[in-house]
Amino acid sequence: MTTEIKSPTFPESVADGTIANWVKQEGEPVKQDEVIAEIETDKVVLEVVAPFDGIIVKIFKPAGEVVQSAELIAQFEQQTAQQEPVNEAKEPNKPAVTSTPVSSSSDAKENGPATKKLLKEHNLKAEEVSGSGKDGRITKADVVNHLEDAAPLSPAPATQSALAAPKTSAPSGRHEERVPMSRLRSTIAKRLLAVKQETAMLTTFNEVNLQPIKDLRAKFGKDFEAEHGVKLGFMGFFVLAAVHALKKFPVVNASIDGSDIVYHGYQDVGVAVSTDRGLVVPVIRDADNLGLADVEKSILDYSIKAKDGKLSMADMEGGTFTISNGGVFGSLLSTPILNAPQTAILGMHTIQDRPIAFNGEVVIRPMMYLAMSYDHRLLDGKEAVAFLIAIKDQLESPEKLLLNI
Amino acid sequence: MYDVVIIGSGPAGYVAAIRASQLGLKTACIEKSFDASGKAQLGGTCLNVGCIPSKALLDSSHRYSDALNHFSDHGIEISPPKLDIVKMMARKDQIVSQLTSGVSGLFKANKVTPIFGSAKVLNSNQIEVSLDGNTEIIETKNIVIASGSSPINIPVAPIDQQNIVDSTGALEFSAVPKTLGIIGAGVIGLELGSVWARLGSEVTILEAMDDFLPMADQKISKDVLREFNKQGLNINLGCKVTSAKPSAKNVKVSFDTKEGSSEITVNKLIVAVGRKPNTENLLGEDSGLSLDERGFIPVNDFCETSVKNIWAAGDVVRGPMLAHKASEEGIMVVERIAGKHAEMHYDLVPSVIYTHPEVAWVGKNEAELTEAGVEFQTGSFPFAASGRALASGESTGFVKVIADKKTDTILGVHAFGPSAADIVQQGVVAMEFGASAEDLGLTIFSHPTVSEALHEAAMAVNGQAIHIGNRKK
Repeated sequence: MTTEIKSPTFPESVADGTIANWVKQEGEPVKQDEVIAEIETDKVVLEVVAPFDGIIVKIFKPAGEVVQSAELIAQFEQQTAQQEPVNEAKEPNKPAVTSTPVSSSSDAKENGPATKKLLKEHNLKAEEVSGSGKDGRITKADVVNHLEDAAPLSPAPATQSALAAPKTSAPSGRHEERVPMSRLRSTIAKRLLAVKQETAMLTTFNEVNLQPIKDLRAKFGKDFEAEHGVKLGFMGFFVLAAVHALKKFPVVNASIDGSDIVYHGYQDVGVAVSTDRGLVVPVIRDADNLGLADVEKSILDYSIKAKDGKLSMADMEGGTFTISNGGVFGSLLSTPILNAPQTAILGMHTIQDRPIAFNGEVVIRPMMYLAMSYDHRLLDGKEAVAFLIAIKDQLESPEKLLLNI
Repeated sequence: MYDVVIIGSGPAGYVAAIRASQLGLKTACIEKSFDASGKAQLGGTCLNVGCIPSKALLDSSHRYSDALNHFSDHGIEISPPKLDIVKMMARKDQIVSQLTSGVSGLFKANKVTPIFGSAKVLNSNQIEVSLDGNTEIIETKNIVIASGSSPINIPVAPIDQQNIVDSTGALEFSAVPKTLGIIGAGVIGLELGSVWARLGSEVTILEAMDDFLPMADQKISKDVLREFNKQGLNINLGCKVTSAKPSAKNVKVSFDTKEGSSEITVNKLIVAVGRKPNTENLLGEDSGLSLDERGFIPVNDFCETSVKNIWAAGDVVRGPMLAHKASEEGIMVVERIAGKHAEMHYDLVPSVIYTHPEVAWVGKNEAELTEAGVEFQTGSFPFAASGRALASGESTGFVKVIADKKTDTILGVHAFGPSAADIVQQGVVAMEFGASAEDLGLTIFSHPTVSEALHEAAMAVNGQAIHIGNRKK
């Protein structure tokens, strides 16, 4: 039975996505629920899984193509365990052969004889050349122009493979490489620039003595882990301190929508997580209802998901406040950029043993600089500073969490 | 209310009507021509007084000339063949009648409503049709004007259809004129001149321009001129006709040349100086349409006029006045009306002169490419080196393929010789698919055929022709 494979239904906020790669190729047998393709949207990477055991008969949207929500991307042939693969041209178990059959192209469209000859002579695959001919066929001119574009400055001998030569533009012979921005990168770029241009952003600083939390961890860390199955970190304290301060200063938890101010009756705290694809911000929902252990657990879940590229769109949507931790990379002080349309973002930094004055004496304490960037359109300096001090107070007296003061 | 009403049932009109109906549009086609017996005459110029009757006579006259002059080359000796011009004309008329009633049958089969009478476009939704003093208003959502063209009449040689005739009259001679003058050495003049020269007329062609077939490849123009003069067409260039005076049996034609004035006397004179679009009484005052300075209805590449829902196609719009161009435009228009994507490749409209040998070409010629600054290479193959052409005794002419120097993409195919039209047609197909000369070279051609000349010419582009020496690069 043949079925259509469609891209997932994207949420309203996502216009379209790009096929990041096909994990499984045409003709490859796959098991039910195995990931066959990854679609990168401007927020997350979505996985497309096989609906049953079977074979991908045809891929309609090769890697790099833009797809819409619920758009047909491949054709799938369902197979029961006993069935032999029906697609005779793509016997998966056949040993790899060096010379492919003439019509190995994934396209039913046949290219002209000179095109096929030239592709073979240059060890090019039809997929690598974009076709300008009828129905997208590749003409000899397309291949000639492709080779010329791909070739280094001096004309290469015809036998030399131009395959995989990156597009270089190097007037002085020094290497430069030009690659298109990933969707995630270009979304980050667009949004950050927009925030810079559309808000009145400034940053207030403070510092926090983390000795009390360190003491607490030293004393109860093991018990905490045994009880909850998750380490007692710093982040949980920061999230709860922020929630406490947000409740005290509801305007920091608000956002501007046109000429209105929207006050949110809940505290959804985003925690910025770095991945190799870029920075993503999963959101801890209703953080005011969570205990320290719940917060630590959801942070752990999110960071595992983020590393595997498995964060869902729902994980990242919304958020009324964000905490960013530049400290994990060793930053001593930085000014975070707002996560629009939120009004404030807290920047954590590296913990450093520093001499400070304490009760009239110079003592050494584990200190962290705090930075809070905020939208001055909505927040006055007085409130912003008071908000940051509220966080500092909570962190320096963690027992206040217990007393809810 | 119709979805589409098409004005004219020629190659643009009847083809558009059939296609429109296939696409599910409620379609009518208006035709104003009636034959001598008063029967409505579908098919336009092409079927009635153009392509088809001229080809009938070209073929008949070619057979006669072959029997007269070339059978003995093959060792066939016959007593001189006798020409029955009346029977030859009757055969031609029978073919025309068969094809035009064929169009009528196609209309029935496709549920196209034929409407007879003269059409006037009132606005984008109304056409007035008049017949014998009665008028009727036809309502439609779309109008396609495909009213065609007619021979141009020049004041110095007014048509009387007796001694001075246009291309229509030249297909109706009841006897072979002993002497025949033709004004114009274009496609029509050459084809009609060929017919009557083969049947025994002493032909003189007077062409006003100094260049012969300027739209064709230069080498082909030169070879064709030599060959046709050999065939007795007696082509005179740079001759501007100043007057044509008919008497009872003759026409005295005066003309100026660089050397001075001159005159000839001929039994019949054909005026074949070109055709003009048919727009007389076609556009109502409120139609919103106007004509360009040459009398054509202005349209864009999709045959849309300046008025929404009014389209125009075929000879009544810009571009070569060719049946196949008209038909393709007709199809494009109704496909677009039906919401489909269709477009014309105007660079790939082939041209043919149905003389013997034939002349045909598609795409660009060398002069056009040089002027456009395009670097190209050419490959030619003479029919004198083609086994099949020699076996048939048809070894005049050659095929030339022009390709882009860098990409090898075919830019033009030009042929003069046996089956040139069909050889060039293979080039049209290849070019439609963006083929390179090498693509044609790597394609198998049946042996022995005259088409092999195209194969060899394509290979010659890259210095790889087998059956002829290649130019040193």
